[in-house]
Amino acid sequence: MDTVSLIDIASYLPENRVSADYFARYAASDRLAHNVMFRSPKYRHHVATDEKAVDMAERAVAPLIERQGSETVSNVDILITHTQLPDVPVLGSGGDLARRLGITPDWVVDLHNGGCAAFVYMIKLARQIMQTSDASSALIVSVQNGAGQFCTQSDVRTRPESAIPGDGAGACLLAKSEDAPVLGLECRTYPEFAGDMTGVVDPPRKYWEPGTGQFRIAFTESKIAKIFARGNRLVPEVAMAVCKQIGIAPSAIDTLVTNQPNRLFLRNWREALELPVERHPDTFDECGNLFGAAIPVTLDTENRAGRIANGSLVMMSAFAHAGDFAGAGAIRWGAAPVGA
Amino acid sequence: MTNQTSNQAGTALSDLPADLPGLVRIETHDREAIMPMIVDGMRSVYPHEQIFGKYCTVNDYVNCPPDEVFLYLSHTLSLEEWTYSLRGFDRTDEPGLWLATDRLGGATYLRTVAHADARTVDYHCAWDQGKHLWMVYLMRVLDARTVLDVDGSVVLWTNCHHPFYDENPYPETAPEGRTEWVGDLWDTFAPGHQLEMSNLKAICEYRWANNLPVTPTWMSE
Repeated sequence: MDTVSLIDIASYLPENRVSADYFARYAASDRLAHNVMFRSPKYRHHVATDEKAVDMAERAVAPLIERQGSETVSNVDILITHTQLPDVPVLGSGGDLARRLGITPDWVVDLHNGGCAAFVYMIKLARQIMQTSDASSALIVSVQNGAGQFCTQSDVRTRPESAIPGDGAGACLLAKSEDAPVLGLECRTYPEFAGDMTGVVDPPRKYWEPGTGQFRIAFTESKIAKIFARGNRLVPEVAMAVCKQIGIAPSAIDTLVTNQPNRLFLRNWREALELPVERHPDTFDECGNLFGAAIPVTLDTENRAGRIANGSLVMMSAFAHAGDFAGAGAIRWGAAPVGA
Repeated sequence: MTNQTSNQAGTALSDLPADLPGLVRIETHDREAIMPMIVDGMRSVYPHEQIFGKYCTVNDYVNCPPDEVFLYLSHTLSLEEWTYSLRGFDRTDEPGLWLATDRLGGATYLRTVAHADARTVDYHCAWDQGKHLWMVYLMRVLDARTVLDVDGSVVLWTNCHHPFYDENPYPETAPEGRTEWVGDLWDTFAPGHQLEMSNLKAICEYRWANNLPVTPTWMSE
């Protein structure tokens, strides 16, 4: 089996940095406003009005081209993208991104499931393709762009949950190499939990039909506690499964990077893996819930700050939607900036 | 019944101060107020001390009718079979008081208090002396049909962390040379009791499945 390595990582945050005041101002009551101020992230970034998902994808990839050379990126055999809110509902960003980058990979895949764990899933998919074909490199891009779009609608921004999401994108370059090996991956699907996250419009209509209600993402209210308990369980569970797979104890994890739906999950997950807070960095207060972009954005942020040493063990772990998917992966880091 | 109102909301807690500390009721804390408190208490993992520090509870399902399991547990001699280390039970001169050897520690005095109507079996015990049985094993057998909608039993078992676990109140009764005290084992009670619960389950289930008396005749002779 060929070893696949994570060669480099990059990310992009939209310029529009929105403070919690924005949502507190629109909160339906003083109590909600108070809740927003103290429970939501201090900041989140919102996609610009005229900014498409593919623009964000391209901006996330730009540093990779700058550092690795345009030829490296031009030669990728695999391009996999995940876009939370596609520019056109019938397809993702892959095709247009390839056009803009001027590349013709053998494989262009728009992965539309995997949610907050999509980054891990895309790595797994790319590795699988590389280990069973001639493909030797892959570009992976995750775009989260719903916060500045449906969360800012006049009827949706008054809801407390609208203050949580943030927009951003992350990208990484994978290659057949021994330099920064992906040591283990574990992806699990839980179809029994697939119906608990829905798109809601009130009064009801198909989201693309004209009408008065504003589209939002919602969770089955009666199942909130169950979904929370699921999330508490799933992220440590898949991370532990990877630890077992590669024969390490969780205490050997140098950097744990997870999705970041809220502060409680972050606390519970590191408690479960018995890791100190400094080994579990997040970007929640700056970026909010970045969904599928959280892992690459946090990894890139930490990496650029020189806090992930080459040779150290990085564990990624996340769960998706209301618990229908979870994925974790371990990497022997090798993408530290030159001179770090 | 006269046609008096059955709504007691007006009188509930009327004898208490309105701001009594420690009360969380929907009248003063609506759902939105308690949700953060509730969610904060839902963790991925819990420290051992938090779950087993003050009280140690283990529960299990046993595929054997509740009256049978209760009857078996209510016989002090059953402990000879399903406990890990209590052996050699003998009656003492005091009615209902037994003396056995805990092979982990020595002499254990024990009195069994059972209530058939609630299917509770409490073992009041102590090491070394039979005057003050401060170490209490509280068990209750439930009908699994009621609580799990299946045939069989659910056994609940709790020990409370009595202060004597931390310090032997009767050091003069301890055998010479014994260095370990029962309370030194408190932190092992959860897995230890789970192991004994598994013994109980295996014994009762086998006898019931094979048409053997769940309480062997020698126990009641």
